[in-house]
Amino acid sequence: MTKEIAKPAATEPKDVKMGESSTAAAAKKDVKDPKKKDDDDELSEEDQKLKDELEMLVVRLQESNTSLHKPALESLRTLIRTSTSSMTSVPKPLKFLRPHYYELQAVYEKWPKSENKLFLADIISVLAMSYDDGKRDCLKYRFLGASEPVGSWGHEYVRHLASELIVEYNARAETGDASEATPKDVTPQTPTSDLIKLALEIVPFCLKHNAEADACDLLLELESLHKLPEFVDKDTFGRVCLYIVSMVPYVAPPDDLAILKTARSIYRAQGEWTRSILISLRINDLELVKEDYESCEDPLTKKQLAFICARQQVFFETGDETITEILNNTKLSENFMALARDLDVVEAKTPEDIYKTHLENSRHGSSAANVDSARQNLASTFVNAFVNIGFGSDKLMMNSEDASNSWIYKNKDLGMMSAAASLGAILLWDVEVGLTEIDKFLYSTDDNIKAGALLAIGLVSSGVRHESDPALGLLTEHVNSTTSVHRVAAIVGLGIAYAGSAREEVQELLLPLISDTGLTMELSSLAALALGMVYVGTCNGDIASTILQTLMERDDETLKSSWGRFMGVGLGLLFLGKQDASEATLETLKVIENPLAKLVGVIVDVLSYIGTGNVLKIQSMLHLCNDHLDKEKEDDSFQAFAVLGIALIAMGEEVGAEMALRTFNHLMHYGEPVIRRSVPLALGVLCASNPLVNVLDILSKYSHDHDTDVALNAVFAMGLVGAGTNNARLAQMLRQLAVYYYKNPNVLFVVRVSQGLVHMGKGTVTLNPFHSNKTLLSPVAVSGLITVLTAFTDAKTFIVDKAQAHYLLYFLVPSAYPRFLMTLDENLKNLAVTVRVGQAVDTVGQAGRPKTITGFQTHSTPVLLAYSERAELATEEYISVGTTLEGFVILKKNPEWMEEDSKDAAK
Amino acid sequence: MGQNQSNIPGAPGGGKKDDGKKKEKKWEQPLPTRVGKKKKKGQMRSTSCLRLKLLKNERIKDFLLLEEEFVQNQERLKPQDEKNQEERSRVDELRGTPMNVGSLEEIIDDDHAIISSVGGTEYYVSIMSYVDKDLLEPSGSILLHHKNLAVVGVLADDADPMVSVMKLEKAPTESYADVGGLDQQIQEIKEAVELPLTHPELYEEMGIKPPKGVILFGPPGTGKTLLAKAVANQTSATFLRVVGSELIQKYLGEGPKLVRELFRVAEENAPSIVFIDEIDAVGTKRYDSNSGGEREIQRTMLELLNQLDGFDSRGDVKVIMATNRIDSLDPALIRPGRIDRKIEFPLPDIKTKRRIFNIHTSRMTLGDDVNFEDFIMAKDDLSGADVKAICTEAGLLALRERRMKVVGEDFKKAKEKVLYRKNEGTPEGLYI
Repeated sequence: MTKEIAKPAATEPKDVKMGESSTAAAAKKDVKDPKKKDDDDELSEEDQKLKDELEMLVVRLQESNTSLHKPALESLRTLIRTSTSSMTSVPKPLKFLRPHYYELQAVYEKWPKSENKLFLADIISVLAMSYDDGKRDCLKYRFLGASEPVGSWGHEYVRHLASELIVEYNARAETGDASEATPKDVTPQTPTSDLIKLALEIVPFCLKHNAEADACDLLLELESLHKLPEFVDKDTFGRVCLYIVSMVPYVAPPDDLAILKTARSIYRAQGEWTRSILISLRINDLELVKEDYESCEDPLTKKQLAFICARQQVFFETGDETITEILNNTKLSENFMALARDLDVVEAKTPEDIYKTHLENSRHGSSAANVDSARQNLASTFVNAFVNIGFGSDKLMMNSEDASNSWIYKNKDLGMMSAAASLGAILLWDVEVGLTEIDKFLYSTDDNIKAGALLAIGLVSSGVRHESDPALGLLTEHVNSTTSVHRVAAIVGLGIAYAGSAREEVQELLLPLISDTGLTMELSSLAALALGMVYVGTCNGDIASTILQTLMERDDETLKSSWGRFMGVGLGLLFLGKQDASEATLETLKVIENPLAKLVGVIVDVLSYIGTGNVLKIQSMLHLCNDHLDKEKEDDSFQAFAVLGIALIAMGEEVGAEMALRTFNHLMHYGEPVIRRSVPLALGVLCASNPLVNVLDILSKYSHDHDTDVALNAVFAMGLVGAGTNNARLAQMLRQLAVYYYKNPNVLFVVRVSQGLVHMGKGTVTLNPFHSNKTLLSPVAVSGLITVLTAFTDAKTFIVDKAQAHYLLYFLVPSAYPRFLMTLDENLKNLAVTVRVGQAVDTVGQAGRPKTITGFQTHSTPVLLAYSERAELATEEYISVGTTLEGFVILKKNPEWMEEDSKDAAK
Repeated sequence: MGQNQSNIPGAPGGGKKDDGKKKEKKWEQPLPTRVGKKKKKGQMRSTSCLRLKLLKNERIKDFLLLEEEFVQNQERLKPQDEKNQEERSRVDELRGTPMNVGSLEEIIDDDHAIISSVGGTEYYVSIMSYVDKDLLEPSGSILLHHKNLAVVGVLADDADPMVSVMKLEKAPTESYADVGGLDQQIQEIKEAVELPLTHPELYEEMGIKPPKGVILFGPPGTGKTLLAKAVANQTSATFLRVVGSELIQKYLGEGPKLVRELFRVAEENAPSIVFIDEIDAVGTKRYDSNSGGEREIQRTMLELLNQLDGFDSRGDVKVIMATNRIDSLDPALIRPGRIDRKIEFPLPDIKTKRRIFNIHTSRMTLGDDVNFEDFIMAKDDLSGADVKAICTEAGLLALRERRMKVVGEDFKKAKEKVLYRKNEGTPEGLYI
């Protein structure tokens, strides 16, 4: 690669013009060629002199008088080294020496071994740069030469040498492989230690001369990246690590892990704990996270590390009370309210504020409205819950003094459960207030309301930890209640409350439910799902084997139930992001002979490779989508997950995400209905809370599809894509859809829910599972999203129509997180500072100190950050302890900072 | 997008408190349309981060291969030809025949536009949903339905009449080889104009912004225009050339408009080089003037200032200006940032003069007694153009005497003639 750059500059004679891409230009060149000969005669005097001198030196080298050789070589070297060249042309000495290249080579062969010979080898090595004929002479003579410091011949030479090193290394590796393949051939594998040695000379030179990327490339090509940390110092580590980490999604395992580990060791060596912990979290190894935490000395940095872990919902025991409090996310609600006050969005909103029906271009007047009022009220319940999520107040549920007249009673059946549960979403993260509010419904005589209250308890404690474990205490007794709706609520509540915590109590409680074949599929599957969420990404063997056992034991008839897919999700979540750790499970699933096994297999496969961008997995998913199955004869629901799988695997990596959009286009074009129905959902998860205009266009088109299921999913996907953004374009589209579908209660219901999602948390939260500069995938957030998407793969059974499992929508709650930047002082109190917020710029491998954001605006913290935005401090008064300005960031005073006035005074 | 909290007044999703009370229809600002804007083309290449780029491109290739595989499989399993045919014919039906050709003036919203038909009259029409809106660009040619003039298709053509006026269709024959000497100047102009277009990565690596433009100045006849021609000859970039005086127009506002148009065209056809000869025609220092004409010229210059380094950044547009009166130019015009390099073209020195003589006489049949050294060593201020004139004049003299050879005598006479003419009118020796 480096070769390609070196070459144009090195081989083109000076007068050949550049940028000749068009044929016209090529023609011009031909015309000019005869002229060029004349030019040679017309060398300027200086050039002629130089040429003569060089030729004389060459002749002298060819002579037998050895005493003259040394001075001749010396002067050749000075001539070559001192020649300055313009950027486009070959240095003149090299140009004039070109014709004599072979002569010099011959001279070299003739000479006896001596100091001069080494010297000549060096010079030939440099000349070989402009005489590249694929023989790697540059490298050859470099090894024969006196091994001067590489940098002495300039960086062009170093680059050339590096490129030849790589070619040579690969060539040797190939011959090595060949000899291994044929054991008869006794030649030992060509050693590459000499190459590595040279590379290690080049690397420090590159690092010193702003060519960090080149150094990393070289070491990567020579498969010796682990040597990198010893060369990196405090000036270069940032860019080196940025570069190698940005390569991670594109290299095949196990290289990616090796790169991450190298980056981590560099960060650790530099004492950049906040960065190294991000890498440790990315490697997904709790031991490494703890190691980073323990190695950090500074108490302030420790707190910042705790904040980073808390965002990822990683918990470990520390003796420190403050740290535990941070890890428990105890202050999340308080801080979120502070954000709300700062942005002046405390005022609760009613669903009507969101629908803005007065803006709908209704041709039918208001008389046609509310075809199905129960359904509309249910939608309003959800909208109310999502819009006021975490704000602790609303206008429907908590407003009325008179309990009998409350909004709950405007819903029917399970609608009442969802209504009661919406309290949990509204009071999210605030366990203490939440429990008192929910308490009154817990003693309701209506089973549905009571179930809702149970679910609400689970929701309230989602994402936060509480010493007294209220959720466990309150929900345990209802898990084995006689009323099935109570059991459902308790199971789901436990799953949401303890998502990602791997609590053994929950396992003990729920594991028997999975294996009990006497229970309905609904209960077993939900128990599996809940356990999957609690033990997300842990590869817990007990749970996995229990789920597998159940899949084998249950009879085919019950497994046909749509609920079965949640069992698969539960199993898959256990292996979330663990890549090949799920292989044994997949093998077992292949043996099980029932229709559900294939579906579960796809889910497990997808979830274990989530967010990796693994092309081979995407390929296998596409293969699954190839077949046109007859729905009557075969179960085709696995195809829906294959489509979702493409999005889930590709997300979190720019190239993959963009290319996945193209793939979905083809799937939509050729696919069977089951595939077409899940394409919008896949788009939704791919761009969650990231309303890209082109994606909105596509979804808007799908939302008018003649297949209502496609339209319904597209509408929901629009909600996901715009979740928590207040996107005006999307809001307008949804209003138009509300008019368009006014007669279709199912789609209308989803339109309303989507409207609620778009204004989720009044525009302050995000559903995107990626955080910390889009490098970390929050397992809990993604498991919530997946659950909801799974529900929508069979929306008729779970969400719309007469379906009674709309409470599954609350699985979005654990995915929600404020998209804020909140700055705290050393005592963890809010501190308002000015920050610049702008579009993030990719700064990988750019020279100097490039700007990280563009088109910025200056705000005072706390601020909101959109998907593609990044913040930087606008004041020099403080230094941030954390490196990524997202979520909670601790600031400390800059000791070198002086106020403008005092600065003047000092002068 | 990120900062729209719900409470921004007027923004949808906010300002709710009073909305609730009055339910009557309130006007909400329509959203700006996304299509119909000029698109940016071109990508910077860079020599850094090569492996990362390779990996990224390999990833893209992998995905494309997957797509290809999938589409091929699908085509094999379930050929779509018939369906495509059917859809195609339906679209054709909707298009109707005959179609008209018009040009797009402006896009109003996602499905309406103002177009002008052949007669020049403008209409507000709808855009059919199946038209690929990404292809629509203002002032592009479009297909119109014959009755309701709805936009039914886009004609992809790249011939813009505005460009052809200023664009250099045929490259001049002069190349760098025809420039005698001026090595320094050639190198400077190459670095400032050619290299940023052909090798932008060098500048990116260095971490500097490439210069935006250069000004060539020096006494008459020292090769400023010649060098610009050589640049045009060398490059494959769009080369637009105007003369300063062309920018002065009869009607108010026409001049600035032309400048804007010029740079717009240059940007559309980027990478491009704009060469403005005799810039002093518009670029003289500003002063209080009552004449409307003067003021108009100054306004033209102000527009030029804005285009050179104004609010919008021009992409790959490089500007070359030439003048022989740099001292009279407005300082704002030639400040760094607008014109980063000022390249002086001095009168040729002895060595250069020799090369210029060689260039001009290389095709002449010369007598044996011709010796240029006298002319070269003489202290006269000979410019490149003078040398050329001497050679031409000598040739003419030889022609007059029907000789097939140009002899030394011819050159002597020619020189006297040329120099006499050059000094004509200047009271020689008055101040001595």
